[in-house]
Amino acid sequence: MSEFTRRRLGGLVGGAGALALMGAAPRAHAQAPARAKDGVVVIGMSLEPPVLDPNLNAASAVREITYQNIYESLTRIDRNGKIIPGLAESWTISEDGQQFVFKLRAGVKYHDGEPCEAADVKFTLDRLSAPDATAPGKSLYTSIKSVDVVDATTVRVNLKSPDAFFLFNVGIGDAAIMGRKSAASNGTKPIGTGPFMFKERKEGDSVLLVKWPGYRDPGSIKLNTLLFKFIKDPAAQLNALKAGDVDTFPGFQSPEQVNQIKADPRFAVVVGSTQGETILATNNAKKPMSDLKVRQAIAHAINREDLIAGENGFALPIGSHFPPHDPAYVDLTKTYPFDIAKAKKLLAEAGHPNGFEASLKLPPVGYAQRSGEIIVSQLGKLGIKLSITQLQWPQWLQEVFKDKNYDFTIVAHTEANDLDRYARDGYYWGYDSKAFKENWAAVVKEVDPAKRMELLKKAQKIIADDAVNGFLYQLGKVGVWNKNLIGMWENSPTPSIDMSGVYWKV
Amino acid sequence: MLDFLLRRLSAALVTLVLASVVVFAVLEILPGDPALVMLGTEARPDTLAALRAKLGFDRPAPERYVSWIAGLLTFDLGNSHAYGTPVSKLILDRLVVTLPLAAMALSFSMCVAIPLGVFAASRRGRAADWLVMGFGQLGISIPNFWFGILLALVFAVALKLFPAGGFPGWGTDFAASLHALILPALSLSLPEIAILSRVTRSSMLDTLREDYVRTARAKGVAERDVLMRHALRNALIPIVTIAGLLAGFLVAGAIIVETVFYLPGVGKLVFDSINNRDLIVIKNVVLLLTILVLLVNLIVDMIYVMLDPRPKVQA
Repeated sequence: MSEFTRRRLGGLVGGAGALALMGAAPRAHAQAPARAKDGVVVIGMSLEPPVLDPNLNAASAVREITYQNIYESLTRIDRNGKIIPGLAESWTISEDGQQFVFKLRAGVKYHDGEPCEAADVKFTLDRLSAPDATAPGKSLYTSIKSVDVVDATTVRVNLKSPDAFFLFNVGIGDAAIMGRKSAASNGTKPIGTGPFMFKERKEGDSVLLVKWPGYRDPGSIKLNTLLFKFIKDPAAQLNALKAGDVDTFPGFQSPEQVNQIKADPRFAVVVGSTQGETILATNNAKKPMSDLKVRQAIAHAINREDLIAGENGFALPIGSHFPPHDPAYVDLTKTYPFDIAKAKKLLAEAGHPNGFEASLKLPPVGYAQRSGEIIVSQLGKLGIKLSITQLQWPQWLQEVFKDKNYDFTIVAHTEANDLDRYARDGYYWGYDSKAFKENWAAVVKEVDPAKRMELLKKAQKIIADDAVNGFLYQLGKVGVWNKNLIGMWENSPTPSIDMSGVYWKV
Repeated sequence: MLDFLLRRLSAALVTLVLASVVVFAVLEILPGDPALVMLGTEARPDTLAALRAKLGFDRPAPERYVSWIAGLLTFDLGNSHAYGTPVSKLILDRLVVTLPLAAMALSFSMCVAIPLGVFAASRRGRAADWLVMGFGQLGISIPNFWFGILLALVFAVALKLFPAGGFPGWGTDFAASLHALILPALSLSLPEIAILSRVTRSSMLDTLREDYVRTARAKGVAERDVLMRHALRNALIPIVTIAGLLAGFLVAGAIIVETVFYLPGVGKLVFDSINNRDLIVIKNVVLLLTILVLLVNLIVDMIYVMLDPRPKVQA
C-alpha cells in the first residue's frame, strides 16, 4: 500500500510543482530598463483616490494624481512652493487688493477638444464658492464676491475683502479649472488641459494616464505613460520596489524600511519638506487642558528628539504651527524647553500634583501610531495617564474632529497656510484667543509682503506661548525613486506628483 | 432530490433576508459620516448637509432599506460614493479576480491535502505520519499574510519568477493574470492544506477501522482499492463539510492576501469601502458574499447526497 500511495502522492505534488513552474516560465515581467526605453513610469501610492475630481473631493490622493498632470489651475505652485503662471499667463491686482484680472493663455484646449476659456474659469470658481457649492475647499474661496468674464481670455475676480492667500489658493489642485461641458463626469472620466490624459482606471488597483499630443508644448513632456498603482501594505510596497514592479514611491510611508531601500543601488531616497505640522492636538475647551499651566507642563514634558528618532530622523522639530522651510518661520522650539522638573511644578500649581487620566485617540497612520506610544511614556512621567484608542479615519473625523469628543490626538495638518485654523470658532481644538484672531485678520488683509511676514511671525508666537497644542515635528517627505528617474519633486508644497518635468536618463 | 433542493433553497432565502436586515442595521450604527469622509476637514456644515441630502442620507432608514432591496431586485445597485462608478461594475470587476483566486486556492489545497492525509493515515504512527502532522501544525500556526510576504520575497524579489503583486487583467494578458494569482493562491491555501490534511487523516483512520474495510481486506481486495474505493469515499463526508466551511474562510483570507499582493479583488473592495465608508458598496458586497457562502453550502449539501444517498432524500 505504501508503495502505491507514495507514487500517487509523488505524482500529485510533482503536478502542482510543474503547474507553478509553467506559470513562472512564460514571462519575466517588465523591468525598469524596459520601461525607461518606452517612457513608462509606474508610480506607487499608499492611498487610492476616490473620484478624480479635486473640486469635489477632499482626498489628497486625488490631487497627487490629477494636479499638473491632468488638470491645471489659474496659477501654479512650483516644486518649491513658489506661485508661477499656470493657465493664466499674467495677472494684475488692484490697489485695494480686491480685484484680480487674469489674462489666460490663448489657444489652450481640453483633452476633448473644447477650448479652455474665461467662461470655464468662471464656471469653476462658481463651482467652488457659490452658496450651494459642495466643494470641500469652499472655505478657501469664501472671499470671492463675483467672477466676471471680460472676454474669452480675460477674467476678473472681485473679492469681498483683500485675501493675501488668494493667488496661492487658485493655484492648488482644489481650483483645477474644469471644462463647463466635461466637469459633471470628471469624477470618473477626468478631462483637463494638462499634458497627460486619462486612459483607464481599475478601481482598487491603478489609474493609467498617457501623454496628450494636443498639449500646448508637447516637446517639453518626455514621458509617454504614467501608471499610478495603489499599494497600501508597507511590506508589499517594499517588495514591489525591490522586485522592480514599481519605479517610485514619491511619498514613502514607512520610515522603518528606508534603510533597506538605501542599501539597494537602484534607488535614490530623498528627504524633502512637507506642509505637515504634526501636533499633539489638545482639547482646549475641556478640563484640565483648558488651564494654560497644564498645557505648559505638557509642553515642557515633550521631548521632540525622541519623537523624531521614532520617525527614523525624517522630521524637523517645530515649536509652533508653521513649516520650517517657510521664509516667515521663527524657531520657537525653545519656548518651553524639555524640563521634567519644571513640568511637574507647573502641573502641581495647576492643582494636579499626581497628574490625571485622559484619552489619546489616534488615527490609523504610521506617525501617529509611533509618536502615540512615545507621548504616552513622556507624559506618563508627569503622572498623566493616557489611554490610547485606535480609530479608523471616518471615526476620527466624526468623533474627534467633528464631535470634539476627545482629550488628545496626534495628527499632521498637511494643508498649506493652515495657521488660520487657530482663528476659527468651533474648531476641534476649542482654542479661542482674541489676540490671535485680531492678528490673523490683519495677516489676511495685509498685502505688503514684509509687513505680512512680521504679522505671521507674531501669529506663530501667540499660539506657541499659549501652548495650544503640543507642537511636535514637521513631517518629512520621504521620496523613493529609481536613480535614473530625473525631475521628481523633492518637497511637497502642495499635494502633487507633478510628472510634467520628469524624464528617464538613458 | 427536488423536494430536498426546494427546502434548502427556501431556508437559504430566509437567511438572505435576515442577513440583509443585519447588514443594513450594522451600517446604520457604524460610526463615521460618509459625507465627512468625502469632504474632509475643511468641509463647512452647510456643505456637509447638502451632500448628505444629495446622497439621500437624510431619508428615514426604513425608506432607504426598501429602496435598496427594490434596487437589488431590479439589479440596480446604484453608484459608489467614493468612485462614482456603478456598484455592479465594481463588484463584477473584483469577482473575476477573487473567484479564480479562491478556486485556485481550494484546488491547490484539495490536491495536496487529501493525498497527504491518506498517505499519513496509511503510515499511521510512522515517521512519515509525524512529518505530515508536523507540517499541518506549522501550516495552521503560520499567518497567511506572513507566508504571503515570504513567498513574495523569495519568488518575486530574489528569484524574480513571479511579480510581487498586482493583476494585469484577464483581457489584457491571460497568462500573466494566471501567473499573478499563483503566489496569492499558494499563501491562501496553506492553512487550508494544513486543516484539510489533518481532517482527511483522522477521517481515514476512522473508516479504516470499520468492519467493511476488514471484510474487503479479508476478501483479498487490493490495498489501493481498499484505500481509495472503500475507505476514502466514506471518509470524504467530513472532508467535504470542512472544505465547505473553509470556503467561507477563503473570503476572510482573501481580504488579507489581496492586501499583501495588492490584488484588486472582492476582499480588498470590502476593506477599502469600509475605510472609505462607501456604505452602498459595503452592503451590496457583504450581501453578495452571503449569497456565495450560501451557494457553497448548498453545493456541499448536494455533494453529501451524492456521496451518501441514504438519509437526506427520504427525510
